[in-house]
Amino acid sequence: MTPLIEVRDLHFQYEDGTKALEGIDFTLLPGETVALLGANGSGKTTFVLQLNGVLRGEGSITVCGLPLTKDSRALIRSKIGMVFQDSDEQLFMPTVLDDVTFGLLNQGMPEEEATAKAKLVLAQAGLAHVWNKAPYHLSAGEKRRVALAGVLVMEPEILVLDEPTTFLDPPAERDLLQLLRDLPQAKLIVTHNVRLAASLASRAVFFEKGKLVASGSVDEIARRFEWTYSDLPAADLRYSAQRRF
Amino acid sequence: MHHVLLDRWSQGASPIHRRDARAKIVALLVFLVMLATTPADAVPVLVTYAALLASAILIAGLPLGSVLLRAMVVLPFSLTFALISCLAGEPLRALALVEKSYLSTVGVLLLAGTTSLPLLLGGLERLGTPRLLVLVAQFLYRYLFVLSEQAQHMRLAASCREGGVKARRKFRFRAATGALAMLFARSYNRAEGIHRAMQARGFSGRFSLLHPQRFGALDAAFLLFVSVFLVVVRVA
Repeated sequence: MTPLIEVRDLHFQYEDGTKALEGIDFTLLPGETVALLGANGSGKTTFVLQLNGVLRGEGSITVCGLPLTKDSRALIRSKIGMVFQDSDEQLFMPTVLDDVTFGLLNQGMPEEEATAKAKLVLAQAGLAHVWNKAPYHLSAGEKRRVALAGVLVMEPEILVLDEPTTFLDPPAERDLLQLLRDLPQAKLIVTHNVRLAASLASRAVFFEKGKLVASGSVDEIARRFEWTYSDLPAADLRYSAQRRF
Repeated sequence: MHHVLLDRWSQGASPIHRRDARAKIVALLVFLVMLATTPADAVPVLVTYAALLASAILIAGLPLGSVLLRAMVVLPFSLTFALISCLAGEPLRALALVEKSYLSTVGVLLLAGTTSLPLLLGGLERLGTPRLLVLVAQFLYRYLFVLSEQAQHMRLAASCREGGVKARRKFRFRAATGALAMLFARSYNRAEGIHRAMQARGFSGRFSLLHPQRFGALDAAFLLFVSVFLVVVRVA
């Protein structure tokens, strides 16, 4: 099976000299959903920003059979849909409709066609009633779904979601999970939420200090790196908190 | 939030709301030119202009009192200059400063309260305003709310950790400057994040905006009527 994403020996260093990624090898197969786990600052978000050339390190990246170069970048960006952690950063246009059509218009689609397609995707995401609203009038859950609609409307082959459930209340999280579960695309999910990872991902990889140190099932990775919310009795938690502070 | 209120007003469906943004912008420009060239002692002209604005506000279904009250935001500035003119022995000029700045602000509020921001910016762009300026205005408006919310959170967090009255007095200025610097740094980070999000959706340096408005016969008639009325009142 030809991989959708193939990364070999990827290195990246920020301008201030911080080594963010060191020798990453990674493969994403069609239909696969992979959770990217790891501590804050371990390189997960930096890694996914490499995949569509927003950040550029050393090493080779191939997406849908296309090597990532300056010339192929635009095409690759249409194949990878990226939903960012902070929806306010993603929803920068004055209205929801303007925002959802943004990517389509960048691809050169005529206005009428882009508008019709955007309204259809908004309706499918249960957001038909907000198309004319300004993004700051939306709830956190609506913002997240509009951000997702703005990506889905471009019909990407791969979805990258950076902490998709941040700021969401439980009902909004549940709605989003249902929506994501129904999407046929291969997915990369950057998250700290093991419950979310376990319910969506078939595999997990673990990042540590810029290195991809393990790959396996979500349960296996969570157990191996003790990457779970504590199930200690309350007394132990109190002891643990006192010791720390 | 003033901009949220304006946003709500601009969602109306009155005959003035329905006019093309370009017609309203040009009508406002004609109004501002006529107002600026009106002598300060031409009281009937100024009263007619004020009556025209009040009528337009009522036709648009905007709350007259609220619009007139909010237009007073300009008064501290214009009163300062009016006071200087008064002290310089030019009371008529001082009066003109206050009258004209206030009526101008009412006119601008009427435009902003009857035209949503995307349409207003689209209208400005189609009238030849440089695209870069339009984009800056668009981003400024979009993120004003986010930034003000962040500033409020920081202020709240600071006030939660304030000590007694003495400490508050001593450290308030330092805390405010620190918060401002932090807000700037966060805005800078956010700008980088927005740029990345734009790049991820294929942005290549040029915006393609939706332009649902069309300049029709009614818009032309509206512009002609307002302009002729303003000129006739001014000249007569």
